[in-house]
Parts: sequence; structure tokens; C-alpha cells
Amino acid sequence: MTPRDAIAVAGRTMTAYRAALAAPERTARMAVVLGRLLGLAFLVCMGTGLYSHFLQDPLPWMVFPTRPVQLYQWTQGLHITAGIICFPLILGKLHVVYPQLFQTPPVRSFPHFLERASIALFVASSLVQITIGFINTVQWYQLFAFPFRQTHYALSFVVIGSLAVHIGVKLPVILRHWRKQPRKPVAATSGVTGRVHRWMDGSGTTSRRAFLATVGAGSAVVALTTAGQSFAPLQPLNLFAPRDPRVGPQGLPVNRTAEDAEVVQLARSAGWTLSVVAGARRIVLDREALRELEQRTVDLPIACVEGWSRMATWTGVRLSDLLDLVEAPADARIRAVSLETNSSYGVSEIGPEFARDELTLVALELNGDELDIDHGYPARIISPGRPGVLQTKWLSRLEVIE
Amino acid sequence: MTAVTRIRIALIVVGVLVIGLGGIVLLNDVNPARYLGIALWFAGALVIHDGLIAPVVLGVHLLLRRAGRRIPVAVILIVQGALVIAALMTALVVPEILKQGIGSANPTILPLDYAGNLLRFYAGLALVTAASIAVVLLRSRSARRADAPSRSGADAA
Repeated sequence: MTPRDAIAVAGRTMTAYRAALAAPERTARMAVVLGRLLGLAFLVCMGTGLYSHFLQDPLPWMVFPTRPVQLYQWTQGLHITAGIICFPLILGKLHVVYPQLFQTPPVRSFPHFLERASIALFVASSLVQITIGFINTVQWYQLFAFPFRQTHYALSFVVIGSLAVHIGVKLPVILRHWRKQPRKPVAATSGVTGRVHRWMDGSGTTSRRAFLATVGAGSAVVALTTAGQSFAPLQPLNLFAPRDPRVGPQGLPVNRTAEDAEVVQLARSAGWTLSVVAGARRIVLDREALRELEQRTVDLPIACVEGWSRMATWTGVRLSDLLDLVEAPADARIRAVSLETNSSYGVSEIGPEFARDELTLVALELNGDELDIDHGYPARIISPGRPGVLQTKWLSRLEVIE
Repeated sequence: MTAVTRIRIALIVVGVLVIGLGGIVLLNDVNPARYLGIALWFAGALVIHDGLIAPVVLGVHLLLRRAGRRIPVAVILIVQGALVIAALMTALVVPEILKQGIGSANPTILPLDYAGNLLRFYAGLALVTAASIAVVLLRSRSARRADAPSRSGADAA
């Protein structure tokens, strides 16, 4: 057999396989219906993901809203839940278009090659993106051969860029099938699968509705059994989320314990103090001194980048009051430094909109009791609308960033 | 050039630029020693989906339909849907069970009884599936019974 014959045989095999995959739910209309939902889920994930990213790494001009206080809890809960819903949606979408994998000839022209390459990139980056996102929430970091956060951030652009290219390439098909077409008499599914179906059960019955119902039910089930970690009303249905927001010291989960952070001794030390520094002005307060300042009690959620969150009651000193003691400028950015030195999260920066917010506290108590050591004893930052990773625990120093 | 063509070109150009931005972020933020790992994940995603999941789905689908000579199509479709949902939840929850076995940084991570909940979920899904099948069968039987009198009437005549 010459190479040319071999290619011809391979081509006929591909054509036959592709025909064999024809099925009632594998239509352009179905691809558009699922594609719209998946595209929407991707945009929600991208928007909420960028919001979370820039809260942690703001560009210099950025100012963030501090109300409603649940804002971050909602955006990040949405990020994680929409990401989970992408699993049934993307599997359904790929099921619909799977026969396109076996086009013959595999490449017709250079533009066709680019189109197929862009789809390979789109499919691969999307699958990897949602999978590593999910694995990160169960903290199975050993599976990653790369840093999660940076890779997830870079891939988000690859996914959304590929989505734009894909919509650009497929726009004529999308427009043709955007609305439901008046029902044409449905021809029995052609191809081997159709014939096999008729042979097997005497019908080429369409299963479009059953297919959509399955994708819909799958999406509902994954969302309802996991979203309880982010949205309290769904907590009774929380069978499978990586967290139960009620489980942890003082009824709140923990990401980094005092032991992990290697701060147990320093945090428990009787000599602990908090320094507040603005240039040359500086005050040093021990726990007694902090107790003697006006105490405020606020209800604020703790909301993790991993999606779980829970409302809690915090008591302590308003950060703004402490900043006034050293006459910090009202528009100053503040650096909060932890006793924790073995992690990049030992230091956070607080923009003036958060630092001067009346709800932002240096908290000493949680839900009416002294802070648990794993929640940041002797003192931690708590502020509205920011990820938990920025609510610096085991506070040792607050300084105005010059 | 039509409006649609202009929009298509704009989308593709913007898309390529955004992909490029992702590439730049990757170059800036991720150590080149890690690129191989990312490439392996990409290849793995395509191979696992296109080479494993999709053919297995096709095989199970054909087997189920083969049973259809004896079983009503509606019942097959319900069973198929239930199997898809069971597989989906298995794929999501098994990593949690495995990671729970390996152990977590602290006890507030993965605190639920995931294996037990998955079994309970299967049981609930089986109940809902059985109930749906019963409804479908009862309906088709009563539809047949509604047809029956006219036919027996014709027979009598």
C-alpha cells in the first residue's frame, strides 16, 4: 500500500466514524444553545475572577466598592459555582460537536488549519482551566506542575481570547441558529448511528429534549450540592462542597492555621504589641491598650478566594481610629504586617477606601469570644468586601505606605 | 464588506490579542521550567476527553440502545440521563474522597462525609429515576387503554 492509499483509507475511516457519530442531539442549533450558556458562564467566571485578582493586586488607580459588605462573598461564590456548572455544560457542548473532530481531510487549507488549532487551544485551555480551578478548591496542590494562581490567571485570557476567536469563526452558524427554526419534518438520523438505532430499538427517535434535560439537571445538581459553601440558604443541600462554612474553630473555617504560619509562640507571647506607624510618628499598643480604646462590633463575612464564606460578628478597634492616633493622612494606603514571615500573605496592603471604612476593624473578638489563635489571635484585620487572604491575621504592625 | 464580516474580523483580532496577553502573563509570571507541566495538562485534557470519555459515552449509549428492542425508548433516555448525572458527580466527588484520604492541611478542609454522601446521592438518584420511569410507563399504559375501547368496539362490530 502506498502512503497515498494509506491516507485515503484513513480518510474513509474518519468519514465513516464521523457518520457513525451522527445523533439527534448533535445539531448546530444545540451547539448554539449550549454555547450561549457556556459562553455566559465563562464571562461570569472571567469578570468575577478579574475582580478577585485586582482586589489582591490592584493597579495604582483602582478604587473598590466597600458596600454591600457581602459583595466579595457573592462575586467569589458566583465564580466558584459558575466554574462548577461549566463541567456539565462543556461536556454537553463537546458531546454535540464531537463528530467535527473527524473531518476529512483533517486540514483543507491554511485558514482551516488555524481554525482547528484555535479550537484545540480553546478546548484544552477551557478544560484545564475549570479542572485546576476545582482541584485548587480541594487544595490538592500536589497535582499541579505549575503555580496555580499565576497559571489560572494567564489561562483566563487564553480561554476568553479563544472564545472571541471561536465566535468570530462561527458567527454565520451562530446567527443562523440563534432562534429556533420552524420545525422541519425531521428526517430519521442518517449515518450508521441512525441505522444502528433503528435496528436496535426500531426507531430513530429524537432525544434532543432528553439531552437538554440531562445537561440542565446535571448543571442544577452540581450547583445545588456545592453552592451551600458560598450561599447560606443552600447550606442544607451542601453534600459535596470542599467546605462546610460552619466547621472550624468558633464556627468558621480556616485556611492557614497558626501552626502552619509558625506564629503560635509569638502570638501567645505576653509581650505582644501592635505598632502603628506613620513616618516618624509611632505608637505601640499592647492588648490592654487596645482594649481601652473604643470597641466596635460589626457583622462582616469572611469570604475565601476558594469560594466558601460565612457571616460573623467581630469586635475590636476601628482601624480609622488607630490611624488617627498617628495622624495618618486620610488618603493613605496602609500596610498590614503579620507575625507570619514564611508566606507572601504575611503582608497585605489596604487601600484608603477600606482603611477608612467605618466597618474595618482591628478585631480582637469573634462571635463574642476572644479570637481563636487560628483566626488570628491576638488581633487581625477584618474589612468589608475583600477576600479572606487580605484580612491579615496575627497582626504585628500597621504602617502608612509612603 | 458586510457588517457580519467586520464583526467577525474584529472578534478574531481581539481574540488573538487577548490570547497573546495570556501568553505574556504566562511568560512574566510563570517560571519557564513549569511550561512543560502546563503543556502536558493541555495534551492530557484533549486525550482524556476526546480519546477516553467521548468513546466510552458512545459505547455505553450503543449498549443501552441495544437493550431498546425490549425496553421503551423513553425509559432508556431516562436511564441514560441518570447515568450521565451519576458519572458527572462521581468525576467531581472522587477527587475530594481521594484528597481526603491523603489528608488536608487542617481539619476544616474537606470536612464532609463525601463517600457516604455520594452513596446517598446515588440512592436518591436511583429513586428519582425509578419514579420517573414509573410515571412514563403508567402514562403510556393509560394512553394505550384509552386507545383500547375503540379497537375492541371495532372488533365487536
